[in-house]
Amino acid sequence: MEILNQFGINPLLLAAQVVNFFLLLFILKRFLYKPILKVLEERKKKIEESLRNTEEIEKRLSETNEKIEVMISRASDEAQKIIDESKKERVLYLEETKEKADKMAQEIIKKGQEAVQAESVRMEQEVMSKVAEVVVSAMEKVTGKVLNKKDQKEIIEKEVKNLS
Amino acid sequence: MENAIVLPPEILGYFKNFPITNTLLVSWITMAVLIIISVLATWKVRLVPSGLQNLFEMIIDFGHTTVSDLAGDKKAKVFFPIVMTFFLFILFSNWIGLLPGFATIKFHGEPLLRSMNSDLNMTLALALISAILTHIFALRYLGLLEYLKKWFTLNPIFLFVGILELVGEFTKIVSLSFRLFGNIFAGEVVLATISGIFAFIVPLPFYFLEIIVGFVQAAVFMMLTLVFMVLLSEKHAEEH
Repeated sequence: MEILNQFGINPLLLAAQVVNFFLLLFILKRFLYKPILKVLEERKKKIEESLRNTEEIEKRLSETNEKIEVMISRASDEAQKIIDESKKERVLYLEETKEKADKMAQEIIKKGQEAVQAESVRMEQEVMSKVAEVVVSAMEKVTGKVLNKKDQKEIIEKEVKNLS
Repeated sequence: MENAIVLPPEILGYFKNFPITNTLLVSWITMAVLIIISVLATWKVRLVPSGLQNLFEMIIDFGHTTVSDLAGDKKAKVFFPIVMTFFLFILFSNWIGLLPGFATIKFHGEPLLRSMNSDLNMTLALALISAILTHIFALRYLGLLEYLKKWFTLNPIFLFVGILELVGEFTKIVSLSFRLFGNIFAGEVVLATISGIFAFIVPLPFYFLEIIVGFVQAAVFMMLTLVFMVLLSEKHAEEH
Protein backbone atom coordinates (compact mmCIF):
# COMPACT_ATOMS: atom_id res chain seq x y z
CA MET A 1 0.00 0.00 0.00
CA GLU A 2 3.02 2.18 -0.43
CA ILE A 3 1.56 3.47 -3.70
CA LEU A 4 -1.59 4.69 -1.92
CA ASN A 5 0.56 6.65 0.49
CA GLN A 6 2.45 8.12 -2.40
CA PHE A 7 -0.80 9.41 -3.88
CA GLY A 8 -1.83 10.73 -0.50
CA ILE A 9 -4.90 8.53 -0.15
CA ASN A 10 -6.66 9.28 3.08
CA PRO A 11 -9.83 7.39 4.07
CA LEU A 12 -11.18 10.52 5.68
CA LEU A 13 -10.79 12.47 2.45
CA LEU A 14 -12.40 9.65 0.48
CA ALA A 15 -15.33 9.66 2.87
CA ALA A 16 -15.58 13.43 2.60
CA GLN A 17 -15.75 13.26 -1.18
CA VAL A 18 -18.39 10.49 -1.01
CA VAL A 19 -20.45 12.66 1.30
CA ASN A 20 -19.93 15.60 -1.05
CA PHE A 21 -21.12 13.58 -4.02
CA PHE A 22 -24.28 12.32 -2.37
CA LEU A 23 -25.08 15.74 -1.00
CA LEU A 24 -24.70 17.17 -4.48
CA LEU A 25 -26.74 14.32 -5.95
CA PHE A 26 -29.57 14.97 -3.53
CA ILE A 27 -29.57 18.73 -4.01
CA LEU A 28 -29.32 18.60 -7.79
CA LYS A 29 -32.05 15.99 -7.96
CA ARG A 30 -34.31 18.21 -5.93
CA PHE A 31 -33.47 21.55 -7.53
CA LEU A 32 -32.33 20.79 -11.07
CA TYR A 33 -33.40 17.45 -12.50
CA LYS A 34 -36.91 17.28 -11.15
CA PRO A 35 -38.14 20.73 -12.22
CA ILE A 36 -36.39 20.61 -15.58
CA LEU A 37 -37.58 17.13 -16.46
CA LYS A 38 -41.06 18.09 -15.34
CA VAL A 39 -41.14 21.14 -17.55
CA LEU A 40 -39.70 19.15 -20.46
CA GLU A 41 -42.42 16.55 -20.05
CA GLU A 42 -45.05 19.26 -19.80
CA ARG A 43 -43.82 20.93 -22.96
CA LYS A 44 -43.75 17.61 -24.78
CA LYS A 45 -47.34 16.97 -23.80
CA LYS A 46 -48.38 20.43 -24.83
CA ILE A 47 -46.70 20.14 -28.22
CA GLU A 48 -48.29 16.76 -28.83
CA GLU A 49 -51.66 18.14 -27.88
CA SER A 50 -51.37 21.17 -30.08
CA LEU A 51 -50.19 19.03 -33.00
CA ARG A 52 -53.20 16.80 -32.54
CA ASN A 53 -55.45 19.85 -32.38
CA THR A 54 -53.95 21.22 -35.57
CA GLU A 55 -54.65 17.97 -37.35
CA GLU A 56 -58.22 17.97 -36.19
CA ILE A 57 -58.70 21.58 -37.20
CA GLU A 58 -57.30 20.90 -40.64
CA LYS A 59 -59.53 17.88 -41.04
CA ARG A 60 -62.56 19.85 -40.01
CA LEU A 61 -61.63 22.72 -42.30
CA SER A 62 -61.34 20.45 -45.32
CA GLU A 63 -64.62 18.82 -44.38
CA THR A 64 -66.31 22.18 -44.15
CA ASN A 65 -64.82 23.23 -47.46
CA GLU A 66 -66.17 20.11 -49.11
CA LYS A 67 -69.56 20.72 -47.60
CA ILE A 68 -69.57 24.30 -48.81
CA GLU A 69 -68.60 23.22 -52.30
CA VAL A 70 -71.37 20.67 -52.41
CA MET A 71 -73.85 23.24 -51.17
CA ILE A 72 -72.73 25.80 -53.72
CA SER A 73 -72.96 23.37 -56.60
CA ARG A 74 -76.38 22.25 -55.46
CA ALA A 75 -77.56 25.84 -55.10
CA SER A 76 -76.26 26.77 -58.54
CA ASP A 77 -77.98 23.70 -60.00
CA GLU A 78 -81.21 24.75 -58.41
CA ALA A 79 -80.82 28.31 -59.58
CA GLN A 80 -80.25 27.07 -63.13
CA LYS A 81 -83.35 24.94 -62.87
CA ILE A 82 -85.42 27.87 -61.68
CA ILE A 83 -84.13 30.06 -64.46
CA ASP A 84 -84.88 27.41 -67.07
CA GLU A 85 -88.37 26.88 -65.75
CA SER A 86 -89.15 30.55 -65.68
CA LYS A 87 -87.91 30.92 -69.26
CA LYS A 88 -90.17 28.11 -70.39
CA GLU A 89 -93.08 29.59 -68.48
CA ARG A 90 -92.51 32.97 -70.03
CA VAL A 91 -92.57 31.56 -73.51
CA LEU A 92 -95.73 29.65 -72.72
CA TYR A 93 -97.38 32.68 -71.19
CA LEU A 94 -96.42 34.86 -74.13
CA GLU A 95 -97.93 32.43 -76.58
CA GLU A 96 -101.07 32.14 -74.55
CA THR A 97 -101.49 35.88 -74.31
CA LYS A 98 -100.85 36.28 -77.98
CA GLU A 99 -103.50 33.73 -78.81
CA LYS A 100 -105.97 35.37 -76.48
CA ALA A 101 -105.27 38.78 -77.96
CA ASP A 102 -105.66 37.41 -81.49
CA LYS A 103 -108.95 35.85 -80.62
CA MET A 104 -110.19 39.03 -79.00
CA ALA A 105 -109.13 41.14 -81.91
CA GLN A 106 -110.88 38.83 -84.32
CA GLU A 107 -114.02 38.93 -82.26
CA ILE A 108 -113.94 42.69 -82.14
CA ILE A 109 -113.44 42.88 -85.88
CA LYS A 110 -116.28 40.49 -86.47
CA LYS A 111 -118.57 42.39 -84.19
CA GLY A 112 -117.63 45.62 -85.89
CA GLN A 113 -118.31 44.15 -89.30
CA GLU A 114 -121.66 42.83 -88.17
CA ALA A 115 -122.59 46.20 -86.74
CA VAL A 116 -121.59 47.92 -89.96
CA GLN A 117 -123.63 45.47 -92.01
CA ALA A 118 -126.70 45.90 -89.88
CA GLU A 119 -126.37 49.66 -90.09
CA SER A 120 -126.05 49.60 -93.82
CA VAL A 121 -129.14 47.39 -94.18
CA ARG A 122 -131.07 49.69 -91.93
CA MET A 123 -129.87 52.74 -93.86
CA GLU A 124 -130.84 51.16 -97.13
CA GLN A 125 -134.33 50.44 -95.89
CA GLU A 126 -134.67 53.96 -94.63
CA VAL A 127 -133.47 55.40 -97.92
CA MET A 128 -135.87 53.16 -99.84
CA SER A 129 -138.81 54.18 -97.77
CA LYS A 130 -137.84 57.84 -98.10
CA VAL A 131 -137.50 57.43 -101.89
CA ALA A 132 -140.88 55.76 -102.07
CA GLU A 133 -142.44 58.61 -100.15
CA VAL A 134 -140.80 61.14 -102.44
CA VAL A 135 -141.97 59.26 -105.55
CA VAL A 136 -145.48 59.02 -104.16
CA SER A 137 -145.59 62.68 -103.34
CA ALA A 138 -144.14 63.59 -106.79
CA MET A 139 -146.66 61.41 -108.52
CA GLU A 140 -149.41 63.04 -106.56
CA LYS A 141 -148.23 66.41 -107.69
CA VAL A 142 -148.04 65.19 -111.30
CA THR A 143 -151.29 63.27 -111.45
CA GLY A 144 -153.12 65.25 -108.95
CA LYS A 145 -154.30 62.31 -107.16
CA VAL A 146 -153.00 59.47 -105.47
CA LEU A 147 -152.69 56.53 -107.76
CA ASN A 148 -154.18 53.39 -106.60
CA LYS A 149 -153.90 50.06 -108.11
CA LYS A 150 -156.66 50.52 -110.50
CA ASP A 151 -155.28 53.80 -111.81
CA GLN A 152 -151.93 52.31 -112.23
CA LYS A 153 -153.35 49.55 -114.31
CA GLU A 154 -155.31 51.98 -116.40
CA ILE A 155 -152.25 54.14 -117.08
CA ILE A 156 -150.13 51.16 -117.92
CA GLU A 157 -152.80 49.88 -120.32
CA LYS A 158 -153.18 53.32 -121.94
CA GLU A 159 -149.52 53.61 -122.42
CA VAL A 160 -149.34 50.13 -123.86
CA LYS A 161 -152.13 51.09 -126.41
CA ASN A 162 -150.25 54.25 -127.35
CA LEU A 163 -147.29 52.25 -128.07
CA SER A 164 -148.98 49.86 -130.31
CA MET B 1 7.35 26.61 -9.65
CA GLU B 2 10.24 24.84 -8.02
CA ASN B 3 8.29 21.63 -7.43
CA ALA B 4 5.37 21.51 -9.86
CA ILE B 5 4.78 17.77 -9.55
CA VAL B 6 3.27 16.93 -6.21
CA LEU B 7 1.06 13.87 -6.20
CA PRO B 8 -0.74 14.13 -2.85
CA PRO B 9 -2.94 17.17 -2.25
CA GLU B 10 -1.58 19.89 -0.01
CA ILE B 11 -3.12 20.03 3.43
CA LEU B 12 -4.21 23.53 4.33
CA GLY B 13 -5.16 22.86 7.88
CA TYR B 14 -6.97 20.55 10.26
CA PHE B 15 -10.51 20.68 11.53
CA LYS B 16 -10.06 18.64 14.72
CA ASN B 17 -8.52 15.49 13.22
CA PHE B 18 -9.91 16.09 9.78
CA PRO B 19 -7.42 17.27 7.17
CA ILE B 20 -8.75 19.96 4.87
CA THR B 21 -6.90 19.81 1.58
CA ASN B 22 -6.96 22.35 -1.23
CA THR B 23 -8.75 19.84 -3.51
CA LEU B 24 -11.47 19.31 -0.94
CA LEU B 25 -11.89 23.06 -0.74
CA VAL B 26 -12.29 23.21 -4.52
CA SER B 27 -14.76 20.36 -4.34
CA TRP B 28 -16.87 22.44 -1.97
CA ILE B 29 -16.54 25.48 -4.18
CA THR B 30 -17.64 23.44 -7.20
CA MET B 31 -20.63 22.14 -5.29
CA ALA B 32 -21.57 25.63 -4.21
CA VAL B 33 -21.29 26.97 -7.77
CA LEU B 34 -23.32 24.10 -9.19
CA ILE B 35 -26.03 24.41 -6.58
CA ILE B 36 -26.29 28.17 -6.98
CA ILE B 37 -26.45 27.93 -10.78
CA SER B 38 -29.04 25.16 -10.73
CA VAL B 39 -31.18 26.99 -8.21
CA LEU B 40 -30.97 30.12 -10.36
CA ALA B 41 -31.84 28.10 -13.45
CA THR B 42 -34.96 26.64 -11.87
CA TRP B 43 -35.92 29.55 -9.68
CA LYS B 44 -38.87 30.32 -11.91
CA VAL B 45 -39.43 27.41 -14.24
CA ARG B 46 -41.36 28.55 -17.25
CA LEU B 47 -42.90 26.60 -20.10
CA VAL B 48 -41.21 28.94 -22.53
CA PRO B 49 -37.61 28.75 -21.38
CA SER B 50 -34.95 31.45 -21.49
CA GLY B 51 -31.37 31.98 -20.38
CA LEU B 52 -30.01 29.53 -17.84
CA GLN B 53 -33.11 27.40 -17.87
CA ASN B 54 -32.70 26.94 -21.61
CA LEU B 55 -29.07 25.90 -21.26
CA PHE B 56 -29.76 23.39 -18.51
CA GLU B 57 -32.76 22.04 -20.35
CA MET B 58 -30.50 21.30 -23.30
CA ILE B 59 -27.91 19.53 -21.14
CA ILE B 60 -30.43 17.58 -19.11
CA ASP B 61 -32.55 16.67 -22.11
CA PHE B 62 -29.49 15.33 -23.90
CA GLY B 63 -28.42 13.37 -20.83
CA HIS B 64 -31.88 12.01 -20.24
CA THR B 65 -32.33 10.82 -23.82
CA THR B 66 -28.93 9.16 -23.72
CA VAL B 67 -29.72 7.36 -20.48
CA SER B 68 -33.20 6.28 -21.54
CA ASP B 69 -31.92 5.07 -24.90
CA LEU B 70 -29.40 2.83 -23.18
CA ALA B 71 -31.23 1.80 -20.04
CA GLY B 72 -34.91 2.02 -20.92
CA ASP B 73 -37.42 4.38 -19.35
CA LYS B 74 -37.84 2.50 -16.07
CA LYS B 75 -34.18 2.22 -15.13
CA ALA B 76 -33.43 5.67 -16.53
CA LYS B 77 -35.41 7.19 -13.69
CA VAL B 78 -32.93 5.73 -11.19
CA PHE B 79 -29.74 5.94 -13.26
CA PHE B 80 -30.20 9.40 -14.68
CA PRO B 81 -29.66 11.56 -11.55
CA ILE B 82 -26.50 9.68 -10.58
CA VAL B 83 -24.98 9.67 -14.05
CA MET B 84 -25.91 13.30 -14.63
CA THR B 85 -24.44 14.36 -11.30
CA PHE B 86 -21.18 12.61 -12.18
CA PHE B 87 -21.08 14.52 -15.44
CA LEU B 88 -21.90 17.94 -14.01
CA PHE B 89 -19.67 17.55 -10.97
CA ILE B 90 -16.63 16.45 -12.97
CA LEU B 91 -17.22 18.93 -15.79
CA PHE B 92 -17.61 21.90 -13.48
CA SER B 93 -14.69 20.96 -11.27
CA ASN B 94 -12.44 20.50 -14.32
CA TRP B 95 -13.40 23.83 -15.78
CA ILE B 96 -13.25 25.67 -12.46
CA GLY B 97 -9.75 24.23 -12.06
CA LEU B 98 -8.67 26.16 -15.16
CA LEU B 99 -9.59 29.54 -13.71
CA PRO B 100 -6.81 31.94 -12.81
CA GLY B 101 -5.71 31.80 -9.20
CA PHE B 102 -5.41 28.04 -9.13
CA ALA B 103 -1.95 26.93 -7.98
CA THR B 104 -0.80 30.55 -7.83
CA ILE B 105 -2.54 31.88 -4.74
CA LYS B 106 -0.54 30.63 -1.74
CA PHE B 107 -1.78 29.93 1.74
CA HIS B 108 0.94 29.28 4.34
CA GLY B 109 3.30 28.38 1.52
CA GLU B 110 0.89 25.92 -0.10
CA PRO B 111 -1.36 26.60 -3.13
CA LEU B 112 -4.82 27.48 -1.82
CA LEU B 113 -6.68 26.04 -4.81
CA ARG B 114 -5.94 22.96 -6.85
CA SER B 115 -8.08 21.32 -9.53
CA MET B 116 -10.26 18.79 -7.75
CA ASN B 117 -9.54 15.82 -9.99
CA SER B 118 -5.77 16.22 -9.78
CA ASP B 119 -6.11 14.48 -6.42
CA LEU B 120 -6.53 10.70 -6.50
CA ASN B 121 -8.64 10.87 -3.32
CA MET B 122 -11.39 12.65 -5.18
CA THR B 123 -11.38 10.55 -8.33
CA LEU B 124 -11.06 7.31 -6.37
CA ALA B 125 -14.04 8.33 -4.27
CA LEU B 126 -16.08 8.97 -7.42
CA ALA B 127 -14.98 5.67 -8.97
CA LEU B 128 -15.85 3.78 -5.78
CA ILE B 129 -19.31 5.38 -5.72
CA SER B 130 -19.79 4.46 -9.35
CA ALA B 131 -18.74 0.83 -8.83
CA ILE B 132 -20.62 0.28 -5.59
CA LEU B 133 -23.82 1.83 -6.94
CA THR B 134 -23.49 -0.31 -10.06
CA HIS B 135 -23.41 -3.46 -7.95
CA ILE B 136 -26.23 -2.28 -5.72
CA PHE B 137 -28.43 -1.70 -8.78
CA ALA B 138 -27.44 -5.08 -10.20
CA LEU B 139 -28.51 -6.75 -6.95
CA ARG B 140 -31.72 -4.78 -6.90
CA TYR B 141 -32.75 -5.50 -10.50
CA LEU B 142 -31.53 -9.10 -10.72
CA GLY B 143 -31.98 -10.47 -7.23
CA LEU B 144 -29.23 -12.22 -5.28
CA LEU B 145 -29.34 -15.50 -7.23
CA GLU B 146 -29.17 -13.97 -10.68
CA TYR B 147 -26.48 -11.61 -9.49
CA LEU B 148 -24.29 -14.45 -8.23
CA LYS B 149 -24.93 -16.41 -11.42
CA LYS B 150 -23.11 -13.65 -13.28
CA TRP B 151 -19.85 -14.65 -11.62
CA PHE B 152 -20.21 -18.27 -10.59
CA THR B 153 -21.52 -21.05 -12.80
CA LEU B 154 -21.02 -24.81 -12.82
CA ASN B 155 -19.62 -24.74 -16.33
CA PRO B 156 -15.84 -24.64 -15.74
CA ILE B 157 -15.12 -22.38 -18.71
CA PHE B 158 -17.71 -19.85 -17.68
CA LEU B 159 -16.59 -20.17 -14.07
CA PHE B 160 -13.17 -19.04 -15.19
CA VAL B 161 -14.64 -16.24 -17.27
CA GLY B 162 -16.74 -15.19 -14.30
CA ILE B 163 -13.69 -14.99 -12.05
CA LEU B 164 -11.90 -12.95 -14.69
CA GLU B 165 -14.86 -10.60 -14.83
CA LEU B 166 -14.82 -10.35 -11.05
CA VAL B 167 -11.24 -9.18 -11.28
CA GLY B 168 -12.38 -6.85 -14.06
CA GLU B 169 -14.78 -5.17 -11.63
CA PHE B 170 -11.83 -4.04 -9.53
CA THR B 171 -9.96 -2.99 -12.64
CA LYS B 172 -12.90 -0.76 -13.48
CA ILE B 173 -12.45 1.19 -10.27
CA VAL B 174 -8.76 1.63 -10.93
CA SER B 175 -9.22 2.58 -14.58
CA LEU B 176 -12.03 5.04 -13.85
CA SER B 177 -10.15 6.80 -11.08
CA PHE B 178 -6.72 6.82 -12.70
CA ARG B 179 -8.01 7.91 -16.10
CA LEU B 180 -9.65 11.00 -14.66
CA PHE B 181 -6.82 11.68 -12.25
CA GLY B 182 -4.13 11.16 -14.91
CA ASN B 183 -5.74 13.40 -17.47
CA ILE B 184 -6.40 16.30 -15.15
CA PHE B 185 -3.12 15.99 -13.26
CA ALA B 186 -1.17 15.83 -16.51
CA GLY B 187 -3.06 18.88 -17.71
CA GLU B 188 -2.10 20.75 -14.55
CA VAL B 189 1.53 19.80 -14.97
CA VAL B 190 1.56 20.77 -18.64
CA LEU B 191 -0.04 24.14 -17.90
CA ALA B 192 2.37 24.82 -15.06
CA THR B 193 5.37 23.87 -17.17
CA ILE B 194 4.30 25.89 -20.21
CA SER B 195 3.44 28.89 -18.04
CA GLY B 196 6.88 28.52 -16.48
CA ILE B 197 8.52 28.69 -19.89
CA PHE B 198 6.56 31.70 -21.14
CA ALA B 199 3.51 33.01 -19.36
CA PHE B 200 1.87 34.95 -22.21
CA ILE B 201 -0.11 33.63 -25.19
CA VAL B 202 1.89 30.38 -25.43
CA PRO B 203 -0.23 28.54 -22.80
CA LEU B 204 -3.42 29.59 -24.59
CA PRO B 205 -3.69 26.56 -26.94
CA PHE B 206 -3.08 24.31 -23.96
CA TYR B 207 -5.91 25.98 -22.10
CA PHE B 208 -8.23 25.24 -25.02
CA LEU B 209 -6.99 21.69 -24.99
CA GLU B 210 -7.68 21.42 -21.26
CA ILE B 211 -11.22 22.74 -21.76
CA ILE B 212 -11.83 19.95 -24.25
CA VAL B 213 -10.12 17.36 -22.04
CA GLY B 214 -12.22 18.49 -19.09
CA PHE B 215 -15.40 17.97 -21.07
CA VAL B 216 -14.30 14.68 -22.61
CA GLN B 217 -13.24 13.21 -19.26
CA ALA B 218 -16.56 14.17 -17.69
CA ALA B 219 -18.42 12.60 -20.63
CA VAL B 220 -16.27 9.46 -20.51
CA PHE B 221 -16.81 8.99 -16.79
CA MET B 222 -20.53 9.47 -17.23
CA MET B 223 -20.85 7.15 -20.21
CA LEU B 224 -18.73 4.40 -18.65
CA THR B 225 -20.70 4.52 -15.42
CA LEU B 226 -23.93 4.38 -17.40
CA VAL B 227 -22.77 1.46 -19.53
CA PHE B 228 -21.51 -0.50 -16.53
CA MET B 229 -24.81 0.07 -14.75
CA VAL B 230 -26.85 -1.04 -17.76
CA LEU B 231 -24.68 -4.09 -18.48
CA LEU B 232 -24.58 -5.32 -14.93
CA SER B 233 -28.27 -4.87 -14.23
CA GLU B 234 -29.24 -6.90 -17.27
CA LYS B 235 -29.82 -10.64 -17.14
CA HIS B 236 -27.08 -12.89 -18.37
CA ALA B 237 -27.59 -13.23 -22.11
CA GLU B 238 -26.36 -16.81 -22.54
CA GLU B 239 -28.13 -19.31 -20.31
CA HIS B 240 -27.30 -22.91 -21.15
